Amino acid sequence: MAQTTVVTSAQEPSLWSGGRSPYNASYGKIMIWFFLLSDALTFGAFLISYGTTRFFSSVWPDPNEVFKSFPFLEGHNLPLLFVSLMTFILIMSSVTMVLAVHAGHYGDKKNVAKWLLWTIIGGIAFLSCQAWEWTHLHGECGGLWGTFTDVNTPVSSFRHFFSHTAQDYVAANPVVAMQSTHNFFNYFFTITGFHGGHVTSGVIFNILILVNTVNGVYERRGHYEMIEKIGLYWHFVDLVWVFVFTCFYLL
Amino acid sequence: MASHAHSESHYHQDTHQVHYEGDQSKLYSGILSHHTDVNSAESKTQVKRIWKIFWILLVITLAEVIMGMFFSHSIPKGLVNFMFLLLTVLKAGYIVSVFMHLGDEVKSLIVTVLVPLVLFVWFIIAFLADGGFWLRMNDESPARQTIEHVKAK
Repeated sequence: MAQTTVVTSAQEPSLWSGGRSPYNASYGKIMIWFFLLSDALTFGAFLISYGTTRFFSSVWPDPNEVFKSFPFLEGHNLPLLFVSLMTFILIMSSVTMVLAVHAGHYGDKKNVAKWLLWTIIGGIAFLSCQAWEWTHLHGECGGLWGTFTDVNTPVSSFRHFFSHTAQDYVAANPVVAMQSTHNFFNYFFTITGFHGGHVTSGVIFNILILVNTVNGVYERRGHYEMIEKIGLYWHFVDLVWVFVFTCFYLL
Repeated sequence: MASHAHSESHYHQDTHQVHYEGDQSKLYSGILSHHTDVNSAESKTQVKRIWKIFWILLVITLAEVIMGMFFSHSIPKGLVNFMFLLLTVLKAGYIVSVFMHLGDEVKSLIVTVLVPLVLFVWFIIAFLADGGFWLRMNDESPARQTIEHVKAK
């Protein structure tokens, strides 16, 4: 902390008495924090709604059975491996983003551009993985939203989503199991889709600030705060994935 | 609305107007701005901290995956889930505090951002309890047996 402290005998004026920002941050940065707070409530509502439906259901698909495929290795039983790769990619892109923010604090244009480029590559890699997973599950379900609604659907088309210990229950209560499968995939596509939409807009923002950086917009402005603000958004997207990962793939 | 008396000037006085909106760089990250030497010891310490957090996040994620793959059926489910949630909150804490630099901000900003999230405690307890209640109601409902009966025909 390089800030100098002025020692006065008079009483220190309140942070809130005006003349300075009590948050010691610019308007834009405070507002991105409030935006992220509201976005957290939206994602929280989605995930809690998912949890409520799950608690409501007497049987639920097992993530180890639903997510066990890997590109080019179809037929092998590889639970959680692909989503671990996706998680790794997103954490990695968060690191490159924070390194871009760090370079921005030092006005290091070249490194800001370099790390932003890596972040964009990471974001696109994550989206590609998600596209593969959605395509794979589209094939498994015969659609995205609104599948498994017909009462005459044979049990064989959804019982492999459930764990071995639940097979007897599924066989005895096929309608209940089908309803759970329907709910599971509706929530899965809604929540990962909403998250993927955030990643997509994050990649677009990153491309915009990369162009601005290379064109020297922030250099002329005297600071790289925009990198920091977009960085906050990007880290938030990573943060949401941490919770999506736990709720859908682990619990 | 109240009056047009204030319409000519903004909320702030002109001098403050310049300070707050004209030159944001004065407020730009009080703690983090205006460094010059990217190769300074301070800069290197920060980069080192970023990579340290990356390794922590990676190890936590690997621990979660290993637990999910191999131990989700051998350890009591409640304990595994508790561990998952604990590790998730830990990961979230590292991301928010270090990657998003919230830990480096002033206390008033930290409090303002974190306090509204306390609502989640109520959300989670209320809604999951509601889900559990309806599960019990449904299991005891004769309607379910009727559906399965129709299906069996």
